[in-house]
Amino acid sequence: MSPGYESSLHETRTAAWLGMALGVTFGLCFFTGVWSHLAQDPPSWFEYPARPAGLYRITQGVHVASGFAAIPLLLAKLWVVHPRFVEWPPARSVLHAVERLALLPLVGGSLFQLFSGTANVARWYPWSFFFPRAHFWVAWVTIGVLVVHVGAKSVATRDALRRAPRDPASVTASPQERRAFLGGVAAASIGLVTATVGGTFAVLSPLSVLAQRRPGVGPQGLPVNKTAAGARVTETAVDPGYRLEVVGRIATPLRLSLADLRDLPQHDAELPIACVEGWSTSARWRGVRARDLLALAGVEGDDTEVLVESLQPTGRYRASTLNPDQATDHDTLFALELNGEPLHIDHGFPVRLVGPNRPGVLQTKWVSRVTVR
Amino acid sequence: MSQRLPETTSRTGLLVGLALGVPVVAYGLRGTVVDADDTHPAELARWVVGLAVINDLLVIPAAILVAWSLRRVVPTTVWPPVRAGLLCSAVLTAVAVPLIAGLGNDPHNPSLFPRNYATGLTAALTVVWVAVVALAAALRRRVRQQRPSG
Repeated sequence: MSPGYESSLHETRTAAWLGMALGVTFGLCFFTGVWSHLAQDPPSWFEYPARPAGLYRITQGVHVASGFAAIPLLLAKLWVVHPRFVEWPPARSVLHAVERLALLPLVGGSLFQLFSGTANVARWYPWSFFFPRAHFWVAWVTIGVLVVHVGAKSVATRDALRRAPRDPASVTASPQERRAFLGGVAAASIGLVTATVGGTFAVLSPLSVLAQRRPGVGPQGLPVNKTAAGARVTETAVDPGYRLEVVGRIATPLRLSLADLRDLPQHDAELPIACVEGWSTSARWRGVRARDLLALAGVEGDDTEVLVESLQPTGRYRASTLNPDQATDHDTLFALELNGEPLHIDHGFPVRLVGPNRPGVLQTKWVSRVTVR
Repeated sequence: MSQRLPETTSRTGLLVGLALGVPVVAYGLRGTVVDADDTHPAELARWVVGLAVINDLLVIPAAILVAWSLRRVVPTTVWPPVRAGLLCSAVLTAVAVPLIAGLGNDPHNPSLFPRNYATGLTAALTVVWVAVVALAAALRRRVRQQRPSG
């Protein structure tokens, strides 16, 4: 064996176990990630559901946690199979060459997904592209190449996991050695998830020394993603001339002051803010139901789509859309209060949108205009 | 390479995988190109290829080198927990570095990064290595007990 590759763990059986674990974590990341994109950029054929209210905080929490869990798994897997990287001759046949060429996008894509996701959670963007879109499309490429790889390795993986493999060369480590190694990798996965998951799983927050957020830390006990200063609304949000405009395909266009909104029937809802970066915190909101406001504007029926725009002058997330299911949900609010107090300006004073099962970036703050379509 | 690696590529499996996977890859590549204003395909490709190259030529060889050097001083009995401790330390440190360096800090937003991450990493590494030492001690004790007394 070449120097450096003496370990008996460079074997198919260990690679098979790590591959299966990676398949599970990457599968979870992929499906929860696609789900998040369906929530943010729904295609015309899909209506993202308003319920269950806490679903998005779970899917996105699982997305980020499985990504962190996959980091030690991927590094361990790439170490186990590294002798194949220096294999000679590089290809034995055309198909073998195809299989090996596919490893470049598979390894590069997997590393990119885990690196860029981790950097995004750290709010560190050492690149010029738009992270969510790049992360989304590279996910499709990576999963596609993963399907090719799983196909190519399916027979050897199944064989290596048999009690007595047909190819005895696929098992070189003793069960004790393998268990000790895989146990160490599992410990690293569990440790990394524990160190980061507390931003959404509050019970573990005291242990999550590397979490980006802490439940309960923030104005009015709730973390903030975009601040009023960051959105450049510090003056417009507190302007006494503020009016909420309701326009579009309606009978009665409305221009409501904050006092007008406070005079309307108020409704309470307990809803989480669930960030795409994996943190989430539940809070008590009080405000005007979206469907009450639409009824006041003379909207009839429940097939309305609503565009909600912010005072924020620019930015990708300055507006969001309520589909009919969301617009008519009894907990979708134009909230005026948070945890019993008027909204802090960083939480969207004077008015913010908050609704069940929505990514945080779609809970539009500093709402200035509602357009019925 | 003195010893041939076992054959692990299944011809049929690969063909099925190509039939199912290539359309998915094509969908991803098409999206990357259609959204080129957002995805910056040339830069994105440099990241994907660059990370694979850095991993295969630097990260894994560096790990092999570290393991190879340490194995000369660490007794074989206690190597597995030490190796696990090294992996835990590496991944925790890698995740902590951008937080400690404050690469994503936003001075307007005190709810972002509310912890002292240098202290947090130190605490996490302490827990890891206390566990490693405890496991190593248990392993050595077991080996001593198994050795016939004479």
